[in-house]
Amino acid sequence: MTAETQSKSRLPYLSSDKQLTFIKLSVLSMAAILSFATRLFSVLRFESVIHEFDPYFNYRTTRYLTEEGFYNFHNWFDDRAWYPLGRIIGGTIYPGLMVTSATLYNIMQYLNITIDIRNVCVFLAPFFSSLTTIVTYLLTKELKNEGAGLVAAAMIAIVPGYISRSVAGSYDNEGIAIFCMLLTYYFWIKAVNTGTIMWATMTALAYFYMVSSWGGYVFLINLIPLHVLALILLGRFSSRVYVAYSTLYCIGTILSMQISFVGFQPVQSSEHMLALGTFGLCQLYAFTQYLRQHLSPANFELLFKALVTTLLLTLGSAIIALTLTGKISPWTGRFYSLLDPSYAKNHIPIIASVSEHQPTSWSSFYFDLQVLVFLFPAGLYFCFSKLTDANIFIILYGVLSIYFAGVMVRLMLVLAPVMCIVSGIAASSLLSLHVKDIEPKVEKHDKKKKHENNLVFRSEVGTLFVCVLGCLLVSYVVHCTWVTSEAYSSPSIVLSARAHDGARIIFDDFREAYTWLKMNTPEDAKVMSWWDYGYQITAMANRTVIVDNNTWNNTHISRVGQAMASTEDKAYEIMRELDVDYVLVIFGGLVGYSSDDINKFLWMVRIGGSTERGAHIREAQYYTAAGEFRVDSAGAPALLNCLMYKMSYYKFGLVYTEGGRPPGFDRVRGAEIGNKDFNLDVLEEAYTTEHWLVRIYKVKPLPNRGV
Amino acid sequence: MRLPAMAKLQFTLFFVLFLTIQTLSASVDTISSDIKLKNVDRTVDISTQLVKVVSKIVLENSGKSPVKHFLFAVEEAAKNNLAFIGAKDSNSKDLRLAETTVKGYDYVKFWRVELKEPLNAGATVNVVVETVFTKALQPYPTAITQQEDQFVKYVGNLYTYSPYYTSTQKTSVILNTKTVESFTKVKPFSQVDGTIIYGPYANVGPFTEKELSIHYKNNSPFLTVTRVERLIEVSHWGNIAIEEVIEIEHTGAKLKGPFSRYDYQQDHHSGPASVRAYKTLLPASASDVYYRDTNGNISTSNMKVKKDSVELDLRPRYPLFGGWRTHYTLGYNVPSYEYLYHSGNEYLLKMRSIDHIFDDMQVDELVTKIILPEGSTGIKLNIPYSVTRLPDSLHFTYLDTKGRPVISFIKKNIVENHIQDFQIRYTFPRLLMLQEPLLVVGFLYTLFLCVIIYVRLDFSIHKSEHKD
Repeated sequence: MTAETQSKSRLPYLSSDKQLTFIKLSVLSMAAILSFATRLFSVLRFESVIHEFDPYFNYRTTRYLTEEGFYNFHNWFDDRAWYPLGRIIGGTIYPGLMVTSATLYNIMQYLNITIDIRNVCVFLAPFFSSLTTIVTYLLTKELKNEGAGLVAAAMIAIVPGYISRSVAGSYDNEGIAIFCMLLTYYFWIKAVNTGTIMWATMTALAYFYMVSSWGGYVFLINLIPLHVLALILLGRFSSRVYVAYSTLYCIGTILSMQISFVGFQPVQSSEHMLALGTFGLCQLYAFTQYLRQHLSPANFELLFKALVTTLLLTLGSAIIALTLTGKISPWTGRFYSLLDPSYAKNHIPIIASVSEHQPTSWSSFYFDLQVLVFLFPAGLYFCFSKLTDANIFIILYGVLSIYFAGVMVRLMLVLAPVMCIVSGIAASSLLSLHVKDIEPKVEKHDKKKKHENNLVFRSEVGTLFVCVLGCLLVSYVVHCTWVTSEAYSSPSIVLSARAHDGARIIFDDFREAYTWLKMNTPEDAKVMSWWDYGYQITAMANRTVIVDNNTWNNTHISRVGQAMASTEDKAYEIMRELDVDYVLVIFGGLVGYSSDDINKFLWMVRIGGSTERGAHIREAQYYTAAGEFRVDSAGAPALLNCLMYKMSYYKFGLVYTEGGRPPGFDRVRGAEIGNKDFNLDVLEEAYTTEHWLVRIYKVKPLPNRGV
Repeated sequence: MRLPAMAKLQFTLFFVLFLTIQTLSASVDTISSDIKLKNVDRTVDISTQLVKVVSKIVLENSGKSPVKHFLFAVEEAAKNNLAFIGAKDSNSKDLRLAETTVKGYDYVKFWRVELKEPLNAGATVNVVVETVFTKALQPYPTAITQQEDQFVKYVGNLYTYSPYYTSTQKTSVILNTKTVESFTKVKPFSQVDGTIIYGPYANVGPFTEKELSIHYKNNSPFLTVTRVERLIEVSHWGNIAIEEVIEIEHTGAKLKGPFSRYDYQQDHHSGPASVRAYKTLLPASASDVYYRDTNGNISTSNMKVKKDSVELDLRPRYPLFGGWRTHYTLGYNVPSYEYLYHSGNEYLLKMRSIDHIFDDMQVDELVTKIILPEGSTGIKLNIPYSVTRLPDSLHFTYLDTKGRPVISFIKKNIVENHIQDFQIRYTFPRLLMLQEPLLVVGFLYTLFLCVIIYVRLDFSIHKSEHKD
């Protein structure tokens, strides 16, 4: 408001209407620029580089797409991964992300803007966050008003829950999917509010883009039918909703089936049944309303009852029959774990082993959303106080996503936008309520002023309230910037630490090892490592891997886990079977990097023992009698003699890591290793990086006979 | 559209002319019996990966008529390894060299050295001929373990190879090590510190060959640059951007068995034949240096700005052992006023066709590409040694409409002595400098115009009843 008065004095020649547009435009564009800029910490601190694991796969496929064209990409059979099975890339990914970057890249190449495809990939997520900011404004404007839209846009520009997945370099599906999701919501609200086929078609198109880019579209295709159901139950069903939903469902479903990874799922899998059911219900409901207009109440009653019973019976038996014959696929594990947080942990170790599939802790809600957590209930109140079709949607979205975000850390991403929207509504409503009170002379509203004057200290309370809210919002900005800079802006491919004298030390061991693999091993060498590093090895080292982050084949991963957990001679058999040439392990014991393979080892044991062939590997063997996981001399013999242990600690027993400690002191586990003096029989050290973070071993060929 | 065609025609003409000169110079010579080598003092430096031979020749004209030139020969065994040859007179002035052939000696490579002044009958003149051979040292054994020293074998000619009669000659071989496994022993010879001296030998006939073989320790870096692509992008706005894509292989004795990081860190004498780092010298005015590969920035490098150069201490991501390869991109900017001269619309670019990569470097293949500003015409290239010119192409980058002309050439087998300037002359109408700013201005103008028109006018055919 102060900004408005200031600019009034500065721009006397503009009419107030134009001034308002000008302010809106400048706030919005500043928010959009901010959302781009705040995501550049890692680029400025390190370099323009792709982060983490999955983005490397996306980057590799994008490069393939730009080099080979869409049809080759669509038909791509990747023999670099899942040796000897391979992977059909075109049919097992959501291509939206790659197609988006390739399109942007080609447009820029056409305009002679010679930007590298890597930079397109690195800056795609920040760019789409800027777009998200604008869409959030439009969506909130549609829900409430322009003021709330601006506040929500400013909030989403810096909300850590979203930044965590969209910093520069984090080139992942989520980076564009959130934009697609909000765009779909915006068009949906538009369609519901206007009831035009055009907006409904736009919704379907946005939905198609969403389907092409992220598996999380399932959330969207359940939320919208839920909204329609809620509207029916609340008696708010109208022809507008009917047109919007019927159009969206028909076009959206047909379009989504064009993505080969989705295929016939929209009409077969249980996850999509709500949408189909609601579509049917909509038709019935509209039909009954039509009949009601033309029939007498008694006749209608009779017909209605008969129809409902037969329909329910046929539907029920059809669903049972289809499920039994396997036409409707059973619910997948990842979806079960949404409904029952303990499901995955009990049944599928490979899902439970991923940290982003863990349930969210309370602190991470505050960490990722800060003040929004408190503004959200207030926003819900404001939504309820003036219930509209659109508000019901945002309430549903908010409540549902809170539940899902509680189940899986990763889904915090879905929650963050609605938190911003609802909190934006709250902050804007509260502010506009109290700012009015501060200005004592409201010239235009004389009558109102007299009416309000009967409250004491109204202006003071208003000032205080605005100050408090202002402080909260400032603390939000400070918190968000701090979180972004400290927690979400490390590329994880390059590590950095502070030396005693404050100088920055860079650990570039991952790229050192990958470059070594790329340059100094045969072109067709097969590399075995734990699946976490599969994508990075194929992308950066261009070598064939046994397993990678696309964890589609549990038995194959289990086989690798078995090799890691077995003794050397047993492991040699498995490695011969899998045709392995090199084995790569991550070892943090020297520099104290805690997410190394020894700390992941129990998952390897669990996954290795989860299949029939690995049934002899039991988790209990790797614990001490007291049930501890120890690497020192008290550790379980099975652990001290397994392949992973030997590869990690080969020759480590000779190294002094910390002053005052014996040689072979592991700085992560805080213990002197138990098995120091051993030799490798079937492997030889091929390369170890400068800080021992990555160790690569060569599998020796079978010995010559008689030597 | 006429200008590029003209330029092409000019190229072709120039090229044909160039070729004609080439063929003319590769003429047939005869060996004059008047010339004798009174004394040859030869130094063979094999302490690095290169074989550098400096022959100080005292030439005598024993005939009756003055001699204008003489022939320098390289034996059959070594001729394919020859990377560089140069000759100087007693005042250190460069003498002109031209490749030539002699009838009956097809297997020998000859150069005709033109003397500054004709050598009168009975007179003598001092000439210094420098030759550099690459890949003449063979690692023996061909594979060593991490802890072992690298031994190499040099096989050469005990006598100065010459088409003329040599009265006296002496050869000193610089090894820089006392660890010599074996060497040819032809008296008189002596071994002092890191040097073996053969001779003086008297009265050696033309084309005499006798094997000289030395097997010795040589832990100096055996790095071969298998390919360099050097890209020079000239901007008339004051900057020249240089980018080199470099592929390097350790071509010494291959690493046998495992690489132990523990031993390598524990003992600094471990891996004596490996290369941890090397120094690259850039021009003193180089700025914005970057050092990276396809996986991103290589964080292990240091830069020192010295008075006459910028010294880069480049450490590859991993130490290079025998048989290991690496690749990287090195780029920097230099101000154009140091290299680009002009008068009116005529420009002259004078730059090195290859720059220093590391001391005693050997480069298998060099591709130099020069990108000139858009609209440059009448391009003439002049290089002090022979190269293979590649067809010209066009390069499109920011704000280009018809593309920038790219001049490129290839040269194989390069050593430090090839760090010399090339010259490119071209014509560039200075008014074209305004093209790019005008393009931006025009684009923005059109954009704003469109927005103004769109906002001010109503294009809807039908007024919507819905209040959106």
